Amino acid sequence: MASIWLLQFPSLPFQHRVSSNGTSLLLHHRHCLCQRLNWIPLTPNRTFSMRAIHDSMSSEEDKVVDTAKSTLVVADSKHPLALFQESITSLPPVVFLMKNCPKNYFTMGLCITIAIMVVTLRAYAERKSSQSNPGSVADLVRRGQLRSDRRGISRPLKYDDPFNNPLVKVGKSNSTVEMCGKQYRLAPVTLTEEQQAIHQKRRSRAYQWKRPTVFLKEGDSIPPDVDPDTIRWIPANHPFATTSSDIDEDLAQNNVYQQRGVPFRIQAEHDALQRKLEALQKEEKLNNLFIDSRNAKDFQRPFKLNDRSVEPVEQGPINNSRIETKPAKPELASDSIESKISSDEMQQP
Amino acid sequence: MFSLQLFSANPNPFLRPKPYPKSKRTHVSSVLQWNRKPELAGETPRVVVITSGKGGVGKTTTTANVGLSLARLGFSVVAIDADVGLRNLDLLLGLESRVNYTVVEVLNGDCRLDQALVRDKRWSNFELLCISKPRSKLPIGFGGKALVWLVDALKAREGGSPDFIIIDCPAGIDAGFITAITPANEAVLVTTPDITSLRDADRVTGLLECDGIRDIKMIVNRVRTDMIKGEDMMSVLDVQEMLGLALLGVIPEDSEVIRSTNRGYPLVLNNPPTLAGLAFEQAAWRLVEQDSMKAVMAEEEPKKRGFFSFFGG
Repeated sequence: MASIWLLQFPSLPFQHRVSSNGTSLLLHHRHCLCQRLNWIPLTPNRTFSMRAIHDSMSSEEDKVVDTAKSTLVVADSKHPLALFQESITSLPPVVFLMKNCPKNYFTMGLCITIAIMVVTLRAYAERKSSQSNPGSVADLVRRGQLRSDRRGISRPLKYDDPFNNPLVKVGKSNSTVEMCGKQYRLAPVTLTEEQQAIHQKRRSRAYQWKRPTVFLKEGDSIPPDVDPDTIRWIPANHPFATTSSDIDEDLAQNNVYQQRGVPFRIQAEHDALQRKLEALQKEEKLNNLFIDSRNAKDFQRPFKLNDRSVEPVEQGPINNSRIETKPAKPELASDSIESKISSDEMQQP
Repeated sequence: MFSLQLFSANPNPFLRPKPYPKSKRTHVSSVLQWNRKPELAGETPRVVVITSGKGGVGKTTTTANVGLSLARLGFSVVAIDADVGLRNLDLLLGLESRVNYTVVEVLNGDCRLDQALVRDKRWSNFELLCISKPRSKLPIGFGGKALVWLVDALKAREGGSPDFIIIDCPAGIDAGFITAITPANEAVLVTTPDITSLRDADRVTGLLECDGIRDIKMIVNRVRTDMIKGEDMMSVLDVQEMLGLALLGVIPEDSEVIRSTNRGYPLVLNNPPTLAGLAFEQAAWRLVEQDSMKAVMAEEEPKKRGFFSFFGG
């Protein structure tokens, strides 16, 4: 980083006053300047003068006066701004520029400003790069994959309640609030109970409404004991205009209050399915008694045989076989008994 | 999903949630560290209907955020989406894929009430109940009775009665509105600082008072303090002067609301919290304690900094 020389002590046109008041004033100005110069690296030929001044600050007034006389050029009482200006113009680069371009103060000021900006930007960029570490766990936190408070990367938000948030800064008089970079003023609520009552009365006069309890469709007659204000007419094209008689209210209420067990409809469907299965099993058993052993297909398709026997005769040429099978039923019955006996014999090892 | 932990300097049995009967005990956790908890006022369960009259003012957003704030405070909450035709509370909560049964199925006997309740995995003491799926119908006039039965059944359930039952009311003053307000004891009116919303809010307030609901508080949503400062929008005090209702909360306009809707993650769960999220939390706090706002914030010009403030002075 380039060092910038602000002041050059040997060329400081200081003048020292003998009077005590002037000494203290001038010494005060020098003290201010010296404090600012503490960080400037000193050249050997300047060290003595700087140290002398510093020593002169800490010692008594007489000593200060003596040392100041021996090392410094006492300056006349000039305005501090003029002194500052003179000190800037005494810098070597400034002197060089002034010699080459004596009247180009604007360019000089511009160069100094640009230099300061470059230094600031470099410092900011260095700070930024030191904070962000690409590809670190901080990126995972930023993306929401990890919680920051668990990682200890950021401190979790702590406050007693939402009304005591550290992000919200309340002013000393409690009438101003600073939040998210904006300034707010606290305005008290002015609504009184009397005003609330006035509004309630106004609304009760303006809106007279009764909850509808009877819902009628077009064409329905009005029940005699019902308040007309509680009747709501449902238009025919209303999307939800289903009649309430479709729903059993008692059953619905029981369904809502049910806390354990299988829900009613599921249980009912299960029971119905169970009954159907049992009925089918019974029919299957009956059908097994009517199987014709002479025709192997009858074993494979007992239901079809059953259907053929059940279907009516009116259907045309297909029914011919059915007509033939119908009178053979008593024969089939005896045959089925025989087939059962034979099948039992076949099953014996 | 991650589990959140509730820290407290003073271990308080109230901070532990009521155990759910058929599952192992879950620890309710919070990112925020609390030293005190709001004191629950009124009789439980507190049945609160969130209504507005005009659509699009933020009822469902308020229901989701206030409900979750209450759950984070340690109260058991059941949120009911009472919009029969247009259901969207599940979308805001990010639970749309878990809604299998609704109240219509419960009424028909296809499932029990506890099977229709969707428990939020983020906060185990928050449950969602939807009235119906978009294509199903509920007879007009029957919805109110059904909701009353539901509230009674929730009070009588084995796991214990919930502390809050919050009902998200549909827009309008038709059958859906009547259904939603039937079991309610108190109401939260959501409005925005524009004249159309205020007119509808006033009418809805009148209907609520006619129906016997006297405890009505107001949340002013989508407030733009910069527009109020520029006299382009009514101030919150102007709104209060027009409606004559106590203020439960003032929610500033926040683009994070839309982002949270897209994510299915209510903005009260954001860390760090947003302005709107903080406002919802404060509104939930006041709801618990049956309190109202005593002052509102009005934006002012920032104080001018001197020349030397640039140097850190």
